[in-house]
Amino acid sequence: MLRQLAATSLAFGLLLTVVARSETSRRPHFGGTLRVEIGARVGSLDPGVPANFEEAAAKEQVLALIHNHRNRDKTYEGAGPFRVSVWEPGKSVTLAANGDYRGGRPFVDSIEIRMGRSARDRLLDLELNNTDFAEIPAEQARHASERGVRVSLSQPDGLLALVFPTGHPAAENARLRESMALVIDRVALVNFILQKTGEPAGGLLPQWTSGTAFLFSTSADVSRAKELFAQIAPSPRLALGYDSDDPLEHSVAERIIVNAREAGITATLDAIPRSGRAVRDAILVRWHMESAHPRDALAGFLDALHAIGIDAGEPCGALPDAASPEQIYDCERSMVGTYRVVPLVWLPDVYGLSARVRDWKVPASGEGWPLADVWLDGEAE
Amino acid sequence: MTFRAKLFWAFTLAMTLSVGLIATGVTVVARRNFEELNRQHSKALVAQFQQEFKRRSQDVPHHVQGIADAEATVRMAIDLSRTASDVSVYVNDARGVAQAHQLDFLDFIGNDGSIISSAEWPARFGYKIDWITKPEDWTARSSFLMKVETDRGPALALMAVSVVRVGDRNLYVAGGEQLGKEFLASLVLPAGTRALLYLNLDPEFQPANLIDASGPAEQAERFRPLVERERQQPGEQETKIYWTADAASAESFYAMPLLGRQNELLGDLLVGTSQRNVVTLERRILWLALGVVAIGLVIGLLWSWWAAARVTRPVRKLAEGAREVAAGAWGTRVNVGGSDEIGQLARAFNQMTQQLTEQRERLIQTERVAAWREVARRLAHELKNPLFPLQTTVENLQRARAQNSDQFEEVFRESTGILISEIENLKKIVGRFSDFARMPQPELGSVNLNDVVRSVVKLFEAQFGAVGRPPITPELHLEDGLPAIQADATLLHRAFENLVLNAMDAMPAGGVLMLRTTHRHEDGEVHLEISDTGMGLTPEECARLFTPYYTTKVHGTGLGLAIVQSVVSDHGGRISVESETGIGTSFHIDLPLKPAVRPVSFPSSADEPEEIKAPPPAKTFEAPSEERQEEHNEAQKEA
Repeated sequence: MLRQLAATSLAFGLLLTVVARSETSRRPHFGGTLRVEIGARVGSLDPGVPANFEEAAAKEQVLALIHNHRNRDKTYEGAGPFRVSVWEPGKSVTLAANGDYRGGRPFVDSIEIRMGRSARDRLLDLELNNTDFAEIPAEQARHASERGVRVSLSQPDGLLALVFPTGHPAAENARLRESMALVIDRVALVNFILQKTGEPAGGLLPQWTSGTAFLFSTSADVSRAKELFAQIAPSPRLALGYDSDDPLEHSVAERIIVNAREAGITATLDAIPRSGRAVRDAILVRWHMESAHPRDALAGFLDALHAIGIDAGEPCGALPDAASPEQIYDCERSMVGTYRVVPLVWLPDVYGLSARVRDWKVPASGEGWPLADVWLDGEAE
Repeated sequence: MTFRAKLFWAFTLAMTLSVGLIATGVTVVARRNFEELNRQHSKALVAQFQQEFKRRSQDVPHHVQGIADAEATVRMAIDLSRTASDVSVYVNDARGVAQAHQLDFLDFIGNDGSIISSAEWPARFGYKIDWITKPEDWTARSSFLMKVETDRGPALALMAVSVVRVGDRNLYVAGGEQLGKEFLASLVLPAGTRALLYLNLDPEFQPANLIDASGPAEQAERFRPLVERERQQPGEQETKIYWTADAASAESFYAMPLLGRQNELLGDLLVGTSQRNVVTLERRILWLALGVVAIGLVIGLLWSWWAAARVTRPVRKLAEGAREVAAGAWGTRVNVGGSDEIGQLARAFNQMTQQLTEQRERLIQTERVAAWREVARRLAHELKNPLFPLQTTVENLQRARAQNSDQFEEVFRESTGILISEIENLKKIVGRFSDFARMPQPELGSVNLNDVVRSVVKLFEAQFGAVGRPPITPELHLEDGLPAIQADATLLHRAFENLVLNAMDAMPAGGVLMLRTTHRHEDGEVHLEISDTGMGLTPEECARLFTPYYTTKVHGTGLGLAIVQSVVSDHGGRISVESETGIGTSFHIDLPLKPAVRPVSFPSSADEPEEIKAPPPAKTFEAPSEERQEEHNEAQKEA
C-alpha cells in the first residue's frame, strides 16, 4: 500500500514538473544560437564590394542584422542588434547579440550563418532539424511543406521576367517580342514549375501592392503569336539566355522553348554563367522589390532595366515621387507594351523554419530578416 | 632470231602466261572469298545487333511494365482518376523513376494524352501525345522504334507502353531506351569493326545525325549516298568507302534499315568492317603470287633456256653441218643420237654428206682423168706438129745420105735448119706450158685502170682496121675520176689483151668491141666490162670457160682464160661472163681498190668461175690461142 502511494506521489510530482517546464518554454526567453543556412557565399561585408544578385541579397540580410538603419542610397549606419563575432569569408559568419542595441537585446545569444549551402542541403537540414532558418526556393516550397518542413512565405515580391535587351537583331523585332510574350503559358509555369507557389505576372507590380495587376493579361494566345511570327521574314532564331546556376530559370527557359515551338518560333537555350552574364537575344531576369510601395518598387525595376540598356520611355521618365496610381499604371503599361520586358511570374520569398523558432514574422519587401525578434523554444530544441 | 631464241621465248611466254593466269586466278578467287567472308562477317554483326535489339526489345517492356505496376504509379493513377486531381504534383516524377529503372525516356501521360511528367523533356508537361490515345492493344505490342522529341532535339528510341487503368480512366506509361552512342557502345564488336547509326529524324540528310559509339561520326558526308539510297528504298544495302587513296583505308558498310510502327524509316544501322586486314592479306597473297611468278619465271627461263638448248642442239649441229657442207666440207658428219625425228634427220644428213663426198671424189677423179687426157691430147697435138717435120726432115736426111747425093750438103744444111727451127718450136711449146705452171706473183703498184685499158686498145688499133679483114669498132666508156687501184699493171695488161683477142676471135665478121670502166661506190670496187658482138657461147661452154686446157679451137691451148682468171683472182677480184647466142659475150671484172688477201695459187681444174650468168642460147667463148698471140706479137713488132 505504501509502495503504491509512493509511486503515485512520484508520478504526480513528475507530471507537475513537466507541466511547469512546458509553460516556461513557451514564453519568450533569451539564449540559444540561431542556426541559419544560406546558399550564397558572401566574401565581404563591405557594401561597396560588388557582388552578384544572390550574394548581394545575402550580404544585405547580414548587414541589416549588424546595422541599425539602411539609407535610401543603400548605405548602412548605426549598431544593429548583432555584431560580428566570427567571420570566415565565404564560409560562415557568427553574429553575437548586441546587448547595447537601442531596440533591446535580441532574444538569441548568437546567430550562426553557414554559407554556400545548396537548396537541397538546406531542405535536408531543415528536415533533420540541423538548422533553424533557411531560405527555400519557391518551386520547392510545396515539396518542403509536404515533407513536414515548417514553411513561411512572403508576399510574392520577386519578379521573373523575360527581357529583350536592345542592340540584338532578334530582340529588335517587335513582332517577335510580342509573339514570345503571347506564347508563354504563365499559368503552367506557376502550377507546374513553381508548384503553385507564386502568381502569373502580367505587369511590373504585383496585385497586392498596385491593385492593377489584373489589368495585364497573363493568358497565352498561341494563335495570335503564330500569326505575328508568320509575318516575320525571314524567320529569326532566338537565343534565350538564363542563369546557369539557377534551376528555376533553367526550368522556365525550357518551358518557354517548348511554348515557342508551339508557335513555330525556333529558340535555343543558352546557359550563361553567373560570374559573367553575357547578354543574348533574350534573357531571363529575376528582380526583387526593394519596397512594398508601388512607386518605389517600380522605380527600382526601372533602374534595373536601365542598367541593362532598356530605357523606360516617356510615361516612366517623369515618374514623380508621389506618383498617382494612374501614373504608375501608365508607366507599367508603356513598359509592358514595348514587350522589352515580359513579366512571367511573381515569386514569394520562402523560408524554412525549425520548430523551435518562435515569433517569426515574414519581412516586408525590402526589409531584412527580423531575426532579432525571434526566440528559440528550448523544448523544441 | 635463232631457232633456240624462238623456242626460248616461246617457252618463256607460255610459262609466263601460265604462271600469270594461275596467280591472277588465285588472287581473284582469294579476293572473292575474302569479300564473301567479309559479307558474312557483316551479316553476323547485323545478326548480333538484331539479337541485342531483340533482347532490349524484351527488356524495355519489362521495365515499363514494372513502372506501371509500381505502387506509386498506381496511386498516381488513382489520384488522377479523381475529378479534382492536381497533376502538377507529379510533374517531376518521371525523371527520378526513369533513372531508377535505367530508362532514357519515360512519360506519364494522362487519359486525354496530356503529358503529366516527362523524363526526357520535363518542360513539355501539359502537351498532348495523340498517338498514345489511339485505340491499340498496348499490352500485346512489345516494343517499337519511334522518334522521340527531347529538349536536346529528336532522338531515336526503343519504346514500350503500359497502361494503368483505374475505372474508365487510363494512365499511360511510355518508356524506352535511346538508340544512340550508348547503345552502339554496348555492342560487342570484333576488332576492325564498328557500328554507326544514322538517325533519320530530319527531312534531309544531316551529317550530325550519323553517330558512332563516341559521338558524331567523322566525315559523315561520305555516307550521304548510302543513306540517301536507304531513305529512298529501305532495305539491306552494301557499299564500300575509301577514306584515302590507299585501298587498305577502305571500309565496307552493311546498312540495315530501322523501321518504326508504321514501317517508316527511322534510322539506319551501318556496320562497317575495315578492309585493312583483308587488303593486307590480299596484298600478301598478291606478293606471294608475284614471288611465285617471279620464281616460276626464273625457273621457267632457266628451264626454257635448257630445254631450248636441248631441243635445238641437234638442230644447231645439223645447221652447222649444213653450213660446213655449203662451205665445201662435204665430209662433215653430225653426231646426233636418239631415235626421234631429229636423230633420223641427222642420220639422213650424214648419209647424204657421205654420198656427196663419194660422188665428189668420183667426179674429181673423172675430171682429173679428163683433164689429163685433155692435157695429153693437147701436148700430143702440140708436139705432133713439130715432130712430124722433124721426122720427115730426118728421113729426108737419111735418104739423101743413102743416095749419096751431091745435094746432100744442101739437104743437110736445109734439114738441120728445119730441125733447129722445129726444136725451137718444141721449146716454145714446152715454155708456154711451163710459163702457165709458173705464173708470177703480181707486183702491186698504183694503177689507173683506164690507162691500162687505153694502152691495150692502142695495142690492137692496127688490127681493128687491118686490110683484108672485117673492121672491128672499139668503143671506150671510161669513167672519169676512176680511182687508182693497187695492182700489177703488166699482168692486168696481159689479161686484158687476152680478153680483147678472144673478142676479136669471136667477131670474124667484124663488130663492136666495147670496153667500159665504172666505179662502184657502194663496195669501193672498179668494174671493167669487155663486150663483143660475136656469136656468143652456150651455157655449157660458159660453165667450162675458165677450166685450164679447155678449148674448142683447133690450135688453142686452153690456157688463155685460165690465165685471165688467175690474174684477176690474184688481185682479189672476180670475173664473170654473160653471153647470149647471136648477141655477144660480156666479161665482167671487179677489182678492189686494194687486194685484201694476197693471191694464192692457180685455181684447180675443179674450180668454177665465181659467177656465171649464161642465158641461153649459149655462144662459144675460147681463150685466145698461143698462135694468135704470137701472130699478134709479131704484128705488134711489125707495127
